[in-house]
Amino acid sequence: MLKVKEEMIKTRILIVGGGISGLSIAYSLVKRGVNDIVIVEKSYLGSGSTGRCASGIRASFTSREHVVLMKHSIELWKKYAEGELGQHGLYYNQGGYVWLASREETAKTMERLVKLHNSLGVPTRIIGLDELKKLVPPIETRGIVSVLFDPTAGKSSPFKTIFAFYNLLRKKGVRIYLHTRVEEILHDDRRVYGAITSKGEIRAETIVVAAGASTRKLLEPLGVKMPLKNLPRHAMLTEAYREAFKPLVIDWDTPGVPYIVQMKSGSFLIARNIDEEPELSLYSQRIDFMPKAVKPLVRFFPWLRNTRIMRYWMGYYITTPDHHPVYGPVKDYENLYIATGFSGHGYMLAPVTGEVIAEWILNNRPSIDAARKLVLERFEKGALIKELAVVG
Amino acid sequence: MGGKRGHPVIVCRCRDVTLEDVEKAIEEGITDLETLKRRLNIGMGPCQGRTCIPLVASILARKLGKPVDELLIPKIRAPIIPVPVNLLLKSVDAKGERGDD
Ligand SMILES: Cc1cc2nc3c(=O)[nH]c(=O)nc-3n(C[C@H](O)[C@H](O)[C@H](O)COP(=O)(O)OP(=O)(O)OC[C@H]3O[C@@H](n4cnc5c(N)ncnc54)[C@H](O)[C@@H]3O)c2cc1C
Ligand code: FES
Repeated sequence: MLKVKEEMIKTRILIVGGGISGLSIAYSLVKRGVNDIVIVEKSYLGSGSTGRCASGIRASFTSREHVVLMKHSIELWKKYAEGELGQHGLYYNQGGYVWLASREETAKTMERLVKLHNSLGVPTRIIGLDELKKLVPPIETRGIVSVLFDPTAGKSSPFKTIFAFYNLLRKKGVRIYLHTRVEEILHDDRRVYGAITSKGEIRAETIVVAAGASTRKLLEPLGVKMPLKNLPRHAMLTEAYREAFKPLVIDWDTPGVPYIVQMKSGSFLIARNIDEEPELSLYSQRIDFMPKAVKPLVRFFPWLRNTRIMRYWMGYYITTPDHHPVYGPVKDYENLYIATGFSGHGYMLAPVTGEVIAEWILNNRPSIDAARKLVLERFEKGALIKELAVVG
Repeated sequence: MGGKRGHPVIVCRCRDVTLEDVEKAIEEGITDLETLKRRLNIGMGPCQGRTCIPLVASILARKLGKPVDELLIPKIRAPIIPVPVNLLLKSVDAKGERGDD
């Protein structure tokens, strides 16, 4: 496979990181006729956050930027699923999201949110318990005071998605090197020009860093400061059962918003945010997470008591101060681009991530207006993204 | 080894993966167990690969001409065997804690 040591690899575009962001960026470049691309992944494909995520996709957010970007992303997910990526296994199961409120206050917040979503073209609505029962037949509705339904939301499969990208990109001539770590990014005052990897040196005209949890450290030696935190998150899977319901269901009024979604394999993925210190190792597992995550959900799904937990793992949310991604060029370097800081939403955003970064590289600006604000510089300038509705 | 037409050789019985699937994935350029695991879902069933990972490791080792112990074996994640939710909840109740913070 890789013979970097014998001959130096040269490429027009080097992408650091074989997560969904790196792969999707390569795909958007290929769509625009660029296939002189090298992707370098230090471990296996999807070994970062991507392979650990819940694969939830939705546009029902609380800032204009998120809603606009995610709405666009959902259109691309559907298009990709119907096209060549779909033939390679990528799919989008538009089963919706269901948010459950147990308090009157939350019910009011939901009404405000629906107005916001609708004004931005996302058709969320408040549904009654009858409709909830139709969408999620095995749910116990006692104590639920309101339900927000997002019919455009859905789920997919992280590994199906990244292998679809992988196989298609390889066919198009993109070179993907697994188990190859970028140790250092080579640069002079105004430009980056290559990278030293664990298997040799690469020269590149343009570099994109989509290295998730390692992005900040990788760019530190270049004097690029990023306000990123790697926040540990936990998730677990039950054994496989027959399909019980399609939507992802979120218990909004329990701290840490527990949620449950049934994957294509039949397993239920269950997660909840519990208090965690940033940067903790992914092997500092919390066995207490397991009962903590499932207990609030048993109220809605008493039969969960009889299921069995098969696997539990941790992964990082790479968070920024305003919980929106860092997209695009870096002020001090002409040919360096970043895509990370998704704050827990980088899977759903990936198709847009690809488009935005490809357009930054090739056209010097992304065509989606909302994406232009998401450059790293915004933190220096204090131009943080604003939430239009405060949730909670 | 090798399945005769119409008689697939099952390698992973938890997730219904055949020898042919494994060989196809290796042809896609996937030559490590961690990636094969995610490509094919081997090792993702209730037994966490106790049955299939050693089989796939030996198939891969033969294809690559490497000894099996040079291949990195994927990690087994907690819990080691599937745990009933009922039991998890009791562990919380017993300590007098509430499930929510
Ligand atoms: C429990 C959990 C649930 C989640 N649920 C959702 C969800 O429902 N929906 C959603 O949209 N998002 C979700 N997320 C967030 C989502 O997983 C991430 O935002 C997304 O996967 C980010 O993708 P990425 O490609 O940017 O980063 P990553 O997947 O982390 O990819 C970065 C890659 O770069 C590689 N790398 C790092 N350093 C180097 C180096 N020096 N050299 C070479 N390679 C390197 C890493 O190995 C890694 O594979 C969840 C996350 C977690 C942890
Ligand atoms: S036989 Fe493959 S996971 Fe059990």
